[in-house]
Amino acid sequence: MALSRRLLPLFLRRGAPVPARALSTAAAPAAVASEDDEEAITVKGVRISGRPLYMDMQATTPVDPRVLDAMLPFYLSRYGNPHSRTHLYGWESDAAVEDARARVASLVGADPREIFFTSGATECNNIAVKGVMRFYRERRRHVITTQTEHKCVLDSCRYLQQEGFDVTYLPVRKDGLVDLAQLEDAIRPDTGLVSVMAVNNEIGVIQPLEEIGRICKEKGVPFHTDAAQALGKIPIDVNRMGIGLMSLSGHKIYGPKGVGALYLRRRPRIRVEPQMNGGGQERGIRAGTVPTPLVVGFGAACEIAAQEMDYDHRRVSALQQRLLDGMRAQVDDIVINGSMEHRYPGNLNLSFAYVEGESLLMGLKEVAVSSGSACTSASLEPSYVLRALGVEEDMAHTSIRFGIGRFTTEEEVDRAIELTVHQVKKLRDMSPLYEMAKAGIDLKSIEWSQH
Amino acid sequence: MWMYLRCRGHNELKLPKDASPVGAFPLPVLLRTAKQFSDYNIREYTRRRAADAFRENRALADAPAAAAAFAKGKQRLEVAKRQAVVYSLYAPKAKSVMELKVQ
Repeated sequence: MALSRRLLPLFLRRGAPVPARALSTAAAPAAVASEDDEEAITVKGVRISGRPLYMDMQATTPVDPRVLDAMLPFYLSRYGNPHSRTHLYGWESDAAVEDARARVASLVGADPREIFFTSGATECNNIAVKGVMRFYRERRRHVITTQTEHKCVLDSCRYLQQEGFDVTYLPVRKDGLVDLAQLEDAIRPDTGLVSVMAVNNEIGVIQPLEEIGRICKEKGVPFHTDAAQALGKIPIDVNRMGIGLMSLSGHKIYGPKGVGALYLRRRPRIRVEPQMNGGGQERGIRAGTVPTPLVVGFGAACEIAAQEMDYDHRRVSALQQRLLDGMRAQVDDIVINGSMEHRYPGNLNLSFAYVEGESLLMGLKEVAVSSGSACTSASLEPSYVLRALGVEEDMAHTSIRFGIGRFTTEEEVDRAIELTVHQVKKLRDMSPLYEMAKAGIDLKSIEWSQH
Repeated sequence: MWMYLRCRGHNELKLPKDASPVGAFPLPVLLRTAKQFSDYNIREYTRRRAADAFRENRALADAPAAAAAFAKGKQRLEVAKRQAVVYSLYAPKAKSVMELKVQ
């Protein structure tokens, strides 16, 4: 009995049995420094006690264990090339790919023959923008897009401009939504594509897809939408929304990285010029061996998203409200970037007045969040999305994007609030601008002396 | 300790012979598996989702829906058991800040 009492704490220890890391041949992470405190991580001169809590769901999402479970057999024993026609390995791989294709299609209301697997949403955007315009280059010379699109769409449009096409970059309103009247006016007889993203990755604003689809259908222009952030989070129906082309990404819906899918409407048929030439896989739209494990993972993620969409949406909305209320209760002068009504709740982009963004982020090392200018990583200029919203430079610099997802817990939200509020208060105490603002001085009326 | 050993000895779920499968898969079994995940977020999610699904499915009246929900719960349990092992094999050395003592 005495023996068992001593051993009892061992058995009651929380968490998993001792990890058998010795069996793993994966490289040890380079960041771990072996100091006296076994669990501390030292990276870039900063010492953190444990892995930060993850609140950057728009950058990427963790892989759902159910997705991993679906993928593993295809790395272990079912490793065939889906295009091999002569043996079991090829047949079972092909069956798995077609099964995944059907799952992706059913999540967006499409036919499986309209789904083409690619390496990600960036590749899909390239195929959609450049492929469509080049195919119809004789008759269509104009593209319409918005100023808040993802970099890959804007870059592809710039590339087309160099080839001699015309591009209209529509401005957005203060709340991030595109003006439908402006869009309708911008459409010309030779417009070949309208590209508006469904949910913005930086501010989380949902564009009015149905209205845009209706306008495009009336004018006979294909409508492309980058739905990487929207898939599995808001209900998408390609027929109801009049979508002609759509870019989908795997690693934003708890699937693996490195896979995406392009939706290409069959009726009326939209043709594209392929950007990757080769063995004619994926009906010639995208050549190259289809990566079976990734595609199976993507299909599983889509199926799970279809089942869990309501539950996740309710939960994430509640968590967003909790985050917002918690912040507002303790600090004032917080601005939400982007419309609150037309927003996907898992994306909250906040600007804290009188606080410098970089120093705020440096203090938030235990929370993994992203700043407004994350996409323009190396440069110090504020994000072009916030600039398009008309956010002023100082507020744009201080913006933080909180991403809430399926695996976020209430305790994590509370801890994020606590850490952010603590850091904001600390910085504001040090800030002379905050003192002046509190004293009632209008900061814009100050004339700074030149030295 | 003897109770612990008795629980650990069960590999299969042994239902009493006259039990008809109700809609909800038994919660204690699901929660026990959820506890084995080494990752904080997955553990909390599995626990929460199992509890919520149990509450939803418990009220299922008609037999086919109930049987389907039970089968689904069983399949999810199998997935969770396998993945708990996989996650523990590759668990990072440092735990999440949420699991460490509050400073």
